[in-house]
Amino acid sequence: MKLSPHTTAFEPSPLGTVETWTEAAPTPPPRPRNRLWRFIIHPFTLWVLLPTAIVAAYFYLFAAPQYVSEARIVVRVRGETQHAMGANALASLMGATGSGASAGEASTLREYLTSHDAVMSLHDRLDIVSIWQRPEADYIARLHDTEPERLTKYYNSMVSASLDGSTGVLTLRVRSFRPEDSKAIAEALLAQAEDLVNRLSERQRGDQLRVARDEVAIAERRVADSREALARFREQQRDLDSQGTAVASQQQISAMEGALTVARAELRERSAFMRPDNPALQSTRNRIEALERQIEAERLRRTGGDGALVHQLASYDRLMLEREFADRQLASATTSLESARTDAQRQQVFVARVVEPNLAVYPLYPRKLIGVGSVFLGLAVAFGIAWLLIASMRDHAV
Amino acid sequence: MSDTAARPSLADCARTQLRVIGALVIREMHTRFGRHRFGYLTLFLEPMILAIGVGIIHQLHKGERGVRGSFEMYAIGYVLFMKFRQMIMRASGAIPSNVALLHHRQIALPDLFFARHLIETAACTGVLFLMTFVGIAMGGEYPDSPMKMLAAAALMFLLAQGMALMVGAATTEWHGIERFIHLMTYLFLPISGLFFMLYWLPPWLQEYAVWVPTVHIFELLRDGQFGEKYWTQYDLLYVAKWILVTHLIGLAGLRVVRGRIGLE
Repeated sequence: MKLSPHTTAFEPSPLGTVETWTEAAPTPPPRPRNRLWRFIIHPFTLWVLLPTAIVAAYFYLFAAPQYVSEARIVVRVRGETQHAMGANALASLMGATGSGASAGEASTLREYLTSHDAVMSLHDRLDIVSIWQRPEADYIARLHDTEPERLTKYYNSMVSASLDGSTGVLTLRVRSFRPEDSKAIAEALLAQAEDLVNRLSERQRGDQLRVARDEVAIAERRVADSREALARFREQQRDLDSQGTAVASQQQISAMEGALTVARAELRERSAFMRPDNPALQSTRNRIEALERQIEAERLRRTGGDGALVHQLASYDRLMLEREFADRQLASATTSLESARTDAQRQQVFVARVVEPNLAVYPLYPRKLIGVGSVFLGLAVAFGIAWLLIASMRDHAV
Repeated sequence: MSDTAARPSLADCARTQLRVIGALVIREMHTRFGRHRFGYLTLFLEPMILAIGVGIIHQLHKGERGVRGSFEMYAIGYVLFMKFRQMIMRASGAIPSNVALLHHRQIALPDLFFARHLIETAACTGVLFLMTFVGIAMGGEYPDSPMKMLAAAALMFLLAQGMALMVGAATTEWHGIERFIHLMTYLFLPISGLFFMLYWLPPWLQEYAVWVPTVHIFELLRDGQFGEKYWTQYDLLYVAKWILVTHLIGLAGLRVVRGRIGLE
């Protein structure tokens, strides 16, 4: 609006009076510049467009390309026996039937891959510090601090392990500034993951076998103990087979009872036609008496007293039973050791590589458009809110 | 901006606005609770009784040990949900009930909302503190991180404020959707995350549940309450997006509505 006359006033006027009209023509009102200036000092430019421009300049001019190497793995469990995977029973119930157990293993693996342990092992295998501090790396994206904790933090920003819960596929993505670096890190991480799984399953197998062997050892000791106890008992009682002795004693008694019955019948028969003082009758009576005494003594030997056959037989039965049980336990422990051994041979947890780590050609990161767009959108929304709030504040001006 | 010099400075305007909001708070308290002696107490008692009731019902009903039967989980969670629901439900009445005040030039539309929200937040934060202390006194455990609980309360406040501004603008423009909003707040209760934690859900349901912003807030609250005893998962950036977008729409809506309110 302001036409500044002094700008033209200093102009020399060699041509005389006509100049006063011609000099007005080349100075149109400086509206375009004015509008530009108004645009430049507008708060929207300052708070939204300028930061967006800075971010865009970083992404498009300075940011070093980052190459992604991606690998996918599944954890497979070979063998049908699930008792070894008891911890994952819930997972196998909740997940899909085929991949349940392995999804549980895979989530263990994911936890490992994002842990400081994985970073430190990786650090031993590869020089990850210099990988992420390559000269071509830009200042913002490169690794600055190499303390273990900060390295882990940086590692977690560059390496991601995500698990698809329904299929159990673990996706590993590694970013770095050179394709071959990304691939090397991914390979190293996969090797570490395989090591971990092998170590865990080895230990699991070892535990299983050890438990079975312990069982067998216990059973063997029990068998030996029971045999020894039986031998000692026999030695003590001077009797090889208490069962047999008891049977023999029983047979003896029944034989004597048979003889007694015969003798009594004979006595009755003879007393019918003989005189009572007949010596033949007397000898029969004597026989009956002797038999009765003998039977009584035999019965007493079986049942009465401290060292009676009854007690002896009870101890003998117990020892025999113990021996039988010990034998059975040994048999079953041996069987389960055998099955544990075959299980261990058959059942294995292992990492199967579905997708091998690739060698990137085109840098997928940094995501320029998404970065710039999200900065712009976020700032624009924040600016809108701030503008509305300030406008409502301005309403209070009296 | 050469013409700004003529206007009073922004700081003066802000001071005026704060005074206006303070005055509106006092006025709102009077109109809502009367000037009786214990009127203000109902402000605290109302959410507290409801929260204790819900907590006890869940304790008795479930009868489970651990977090599912926990009184603190439902009682304190319910306080936050109460705040959310009250702010949104009362938003529809904010402009009609204060329309006479708009004769004063100093009072702007958002002030009415800010004043109400401050009252609700003060009440609910107070009850939150009280319930936490009561929980500890009754033999519960100390919260793992009170700062996270307060952050959850603050996020809930901001989210509810954004929603309330939207609802306030919408109800002024289209009459009759208040009932709809009333219904929505009740239907929202089961999916809000108050009655479940993410890890209770099967994975396919979790994928849908994380779209609800309050689920993240409740997860944050429970992380603050119980710490690492239970697995929690939340994305505060997502909640922040919701807060920003709802504020933008709400404030812009009020700006639009400003010219259309009829003062009789």
